[in-house]
Amino acid sequence: MPDSPAIAVRDLRKLYGDKAAVDGVDLVVPRGCFFGFLGPNGAGKSTTIRMLTGLIPPTSGSIELLGMPLAGQELEIKKRIGLVPDESLLFDRLTGAEFLEFVGRMYGLARAVAIERARSLLELFELRESRKLIAEYSKGMRKRLAMAASLIHHPDLFLMDEPFEGVDAVGARLMKDILLDQVRRGATIFLTSHVLEVVERLCDRVAIIDKGRIVREGSMDELRGGTESLEDVFVRVVGAGREFHELEWLK
Amino acid sequence: MIRAILRAQWLSMRTFRLASSRRGAVFSVVIAVFWYGFWTVLAFAAEALLSSPGLRSEILAWMPLALAGVCAYWQLAPLASATMGASLDLRKLLLYPVPRRALFTVEVLLRITTCAEVLLVLTGAGIGILRNPAFGWRLIGRVPVALALFATFNLLLAAGLRSLIERLLNRRGLREVMALVLMLVGVLPRLLMVTGLPARRISGLFPAGRNPFWPWAATAHMMLGEPARVLPAAATLVIWTAVAYWFGRWQFTRSLRYDVQAAQASVSSMKERSFASGLYRLPSMLLRDPIGALVEKELRCLVRTPRFRLVFVMGFSFGLIVWLPMVLRGRGAHSPLSDNFLAVVSIYALTLLGQVTYWNTFGFDRSAAQLYFLAPVALWRTLAGKNIAAAIFIFLEIGAVSAVCSFLPVGISPGMVAEAFLTAGIATLYLLAIGNLGSVNYPRAMSPQRVGAGGARGRAQGLIFLLYPVALLPVFLAYLARYAFNSQLAFCAILAMAAALGTTVYWMAMESAVSTARQRRETIVAELSSGEGPMISE
Repeated sequence: MPDSPAIAVRDLRKLYGDKAAVDGVDLVVPRGCFFGFLGPNGAGKSTTIRMLTGLIPPTSGSIELLGMPLAGQELEIKKRIGLVPDESLLFDRLTGAEFLEFVGRMYGLARAVAIERARSLLELFELRESRKLIAEYSKGMRKRLAMAASLIHHPDLFLMDEPFEGVDAVGARLMKDILLDQVRRGATIFLTSHVLEVVERLCDRVAIIDKGRIVREGSMDELRGGTESLEDVFVRVVGAGREFHELEWLK
Repeated sequence: MIRAILRAQWLSMRTFRLASSRRGAVFSVVIAVFWYGFWTVLAFAAEALLSSPGLRSEILAWMPLALAGVCAYWQLAPLASATMGASLDLRKLLLYPVPRRALFTVEVLLRITTCAEVLLVLTGAGIGILRNPAFGWRLIGRVPVALALFATFNLLLAAGLRSLIERLLNRRGLREVMALVLMLVGVLPRLLMVTGLPARRISGLFPAGRNPFWPWAATAHMMLGEPARVLPAAATLVIWTAVAYWFGRWQFTRSLRYDVQAAQASVSSMKERSFASGLYRLPSMLLRDPIGALVEKELRCLVRTPRFRLVFVMGFSFGLIVWLPMVLRGRGAHSPLSDNFLAVVSIYALTLLGQVTYWNTFGFDRSAAQLYFLAPVALWRTLAGKNIAAAIFIFLEIGAVSAVCSFLPVGISPGMVAEAFLTAGIATLYLLAIGNLGSVNYPRAMSPQRVGAGGARGRAQGLIFLLYPVALLPVFLAYLARYAFNSQLAFCAILAMAAALGTTVYWMAMESAVSTARQRRETIVAELSSGEGPMISE
């Protein structure tokens, strides 16, 4: 179903006890869109992504990815998704090449294909130290490797939680170029980030979530209204009413 | 500052928030009650024995050696059980301006976690001596002080030894040798006794052990000796305690400066031969992906995990060291143990491997285990892949045991080797079945570097302790039938039934584990990603 949206979420809720981490989210992300999902800490971004990946079940609501219901066709959907989660999914005792090959084979690639793609991805992400174990990678290298792993099976939809966190400027530029290239070929990217300048530069559409609810959604131009920066909009939407109180002893 | 560290640890250990953790905590309490209940009974026995006035001369003669035994247990038991108790996580605490003296004090106090049971027994012994009319309450000024000094000496020594051994065990290439040496030290006396060293020569060592120069003998003299010998004994004990303090501080300070990653940095220059790499790929030639990929990944990861390598070495060495003396004692005579020596050692090895493979199968993956839930692979395939990798190591272990046994005078035939593989294989079915259930119900992140830690949480270890006999029962019944009916046919028939039942149990457990993993995926990932407090409990 190529006309269906990449992500269609209806009335999505996740309750922990009587506290709603996600509280009735409706979201439609068209195919080929670079979508930014913003929110302050604890707003429900990671919980939403974890529900989209099937890692945690929603309390209620429905999720459709690439035109298929997540509840019924989980394995089929997972084959077409590339993931960069907030927590590390890297196996420390493998080398980068071994890890990429493993991920490729888990996604159904033939071994020779997985090895070849792993090699070229390591080149692309400048992770050529093939004998180095992942345990010895820096944080930025780990993020780059996680992104390389998300690409190996050529997915149609990327779900990324803070992919640029801890990555240096050169690495971040490389990652952005690769992601933009993926959007140009028709893939959809759903990304969370606290670096609003990056979101502003990359994303076509943005949704802002606060206290588990979507409080703004639209194209970048609609949100900014022509004059404001994304940061101004974000702070106005989620930070209204917050005042800075000086602490006497810190003066 | 010490209070802040202890409070942070206490808050980190709170497990009553989740219902599942609450059940586990209750289970842990039950296990603790059993364990310390047993030692409390021993403490009462010591009290009853030492309060007998008729045993005065025996008490005087044997007290130094009994205290030497206590000292040996205190220092060696944590090593032999590969659980070195709680300790400070220095990587976290060194960030703060905490004086080293305070850190060392907490570390010494934490040594109580490995041998609290000894303190119980010593307390019972002390009360027994005071209640003994032959000694009487006139010793009230000496016995508690001597025992307190003895306990302090042991705590300080244990703190130093722990720091030293942990550093040695973290050294690449040294840790396996170290583990073997430590085990040999633990079982050497028994091995010597049953392999021909005359008992007279061993008992000749006893007077040397009673020399008041030793801390245990000094403690005994300080408690029970003639008044003229009390002061020299007390001085000796104080000197020993001061030496232990110096040793403990020295080793602790060295550990503070120790860089584990630098010590293990040789992995970065790891030059794996293409031959070894080819071995990892062998299972993929027989198994289709994703199971082939999973098995290959497990083999690579486990072989590069220091803790796994240590346990693997222990599997075929410790088993032989423990069981071999019993066979050699018989000097060629037939016994159930000598007839089934290889099978016994193999079963022992496979149970030992459990803590690093099947009991907590996602443990070394830590937060990366979420990949299994995110990838388009059915969960049963993931578990099956991990089980196959565990089985490969179990059979390699049995192969190693068989190879070593073929050089020993224990009469190993090809039939015995085949039987060992068969019985271990059947027992493996049951153990993997229980292991899969345990892995999804009690997952725990394990550090691949920390070689001294156990593989399961306290409650899970208690459960394992209870389930081993159940899992091994079918194989045991087959051996029982062979001896009861003196029939190989009865043995084979029951073994075949055990295999059929084991296969059924395995698949039923697999279904249940997969269903549980689906329901608990969030909790499993959370538990495998969770950090600890300022201390590391092992």
